[in-house]
Amino acid sequence: MMSAIFSLETIYILTGLVLLIFSILTFCDRTNPHRHASAVFWLILGGIFGLGGVLPYWLTGLLVLALVALDGAGRVSRGQEQIDKAAQHRQAQRLRNRIFAPVLTVPLVTIAFAIGFRAVGADASRGALVGLGFGGVAAMIVALNVTGGTWRALMHAGNQLNETMGTVNILPQLLAALGVIFTAAGVGDVIARLIQQILPGNSLFLLILANCVGMMLFTIVMGNSFAAFPVIASGVLVPLIIRPFGVNPAMAAIITLTAGSSGTLMTPMAANFNIVPAALLDLRDRYGVIKFQLPFAIVIWSFHVILLWLLAR
Amino acid sequence: MSPSDLLKLSGIAIVVIGLAFRLRPTLVVVTAAIVTGVVSGLPLFTHAGKTGIVDMLGKGFADNRLMTLFILTLPAIGMAERYGLQEQSAVWIRRIHAATAGRLSALYQLFRVIVGALGLRLGGHASFVRPLILPMAIGAAEAQGGKVSERSIEEIKAAAAASENYGNFYGQNLAPVQAGILLVYGVMQGLGYSVSLWDLVMYTVPVVAASLVLGFIQFSLLDRGIRRGSKVTQ
Repeated sequence: MMSAIFSLETIYILTGLVLLIFSILTFCDRTNPHRHASAVFWLILGGIFGLGGVLPYWLTGLLVLALVALDGAGRVSRGQEQIDKAAQHRQAQRLRNRIFAPVLTVPLVTIAFAIGFRAVGADASRGALVGLGFGGVAAMIVALNVTGGTWRALMHAGNQLNETMGTVNILPQLLAALGVIFTAAGVGDVIARLIQQILPGNSLFLLILANCVGMMLFTIVMGNSFAAFPVIASGVLVPLIIRPFGVNPAMAAIITLTAGSSGTLMTPMAANFNIVPAALLDLRDRYGVIKFQLPFAIVIWSFHVILLWLLAR
Repeated sequence: MSPSDLLKLSGIAIVVIGLAFRLRPTLVVVTAAIVTGVVSGLPLFTHAGKTGIVDMLGKGFADNRLMTLFILTLPAIGMAERYGLQEQSAVWIRRIHAATAGRLSALYQLFRVIVGALGLRLGGHASFVRPLILPMAIGAAEAQGGKVSERSIEEIKAAAAASENYGNFYGQNLAPVQAGILLVYGVMQGLGYSVSLWDLVMYTVPVVAASLVLGFIQFSLLDRGIRRGSKVTQ
């Protein structure tokens, strides 16, 4: 009974319910130019969250295609945000540091669950995920108590934040699904064989170098290390480094991901991080931020290669 | 390498080209998934014992719901923002006392790492760097040596933007429930390796430490450049 309540499935159902509420709020929001289609998008996502454990996979797959079709057609939009700056200022003056209580509730509950799971011999990783979910719920209650606001205002604020972040919210999940299909199609094996043809012999150092170069280059071109990771992990890291050399998978994987961050620091493709800020700060050179970051990125990338090699040997 | 093998790489080409041309990322990724499956001879739906592309898409998406759990935290964060979360954070940032523009950037990077380690999404070029860090940095540079050269101002701006990126990119992996860690966790699970979220966090510590040291060195060099620049103009 306890283990059923404190499971990932419970958290997924709660997330589904929150998305359902977001969907209703969006449906009623007359400032949103595509309120119906947008509401359907969040409703479908909520359905996948709440029922993903019981729906047949082909149906979930079709629902995912519907999500992407709605987004691809540009039918997912956001309402106009009404922010009362003066009221916000008054509230900030009144609450001071108490306003941090809700946001700090999330990490505290996350850690508490991880420790609790470990104490009863369960998986501490799962504990952290379940804790994140319950932390979100606990934070809602703390937020209501601290601010004295209503549930309606709470969900409204959550919906506006969700709409601001938009459909890219589902991108990591889609990239993971792409990784599943790449694996089934044997894409990783093709890349692995290509690299073996280029790099004769079995030098761990050269393979690690290829892994980190590949991660950086893919990130530079795509502007997104999250998109590069499934490709490099399935094509280089797992088949050529982790499996044959018995390298610690957690260590190799996370170092490979941040080797990609060096690429993010160098590329105009990551416009949000490099080009938009240059405009925002009135730099005369729109590549000024990238130029500044370039030496840092090269040095820390080299550090990744050496670190990965030292820890893998 | 047979032609049919190389054809399997068409999905990667689609992702690379699609994202490079700034097409809608969700559409690009799903198109790549379907094309890869089709050219590899997989059926659209499960048929005759072969798992279908749509089935795999659904399974991959459902199995990785954990990557989007942060939606549960949005109501509380949104509410806190309405009641002055940013404003009160700014009060704390203004308390950073740094004698130079470089040290301020280094301290802001450290602040972003701590925020990331707590799993919070607080920060950004628009909300913190432009209104707070940049004016504070230019103020510090002026207080230090009088007139600051135009070239130095450009460098200070770039450094302020970079400190946000340095702190954000590396610091966020210190929390076990941030997007990057969850992506790695899910993808590795799909490839048959159950890794621990806590191991992922542990092995990112040396990288975060290196990013702080490197940032500190680069920002110290910036201070030196500012001092030289102001001597020249005087």
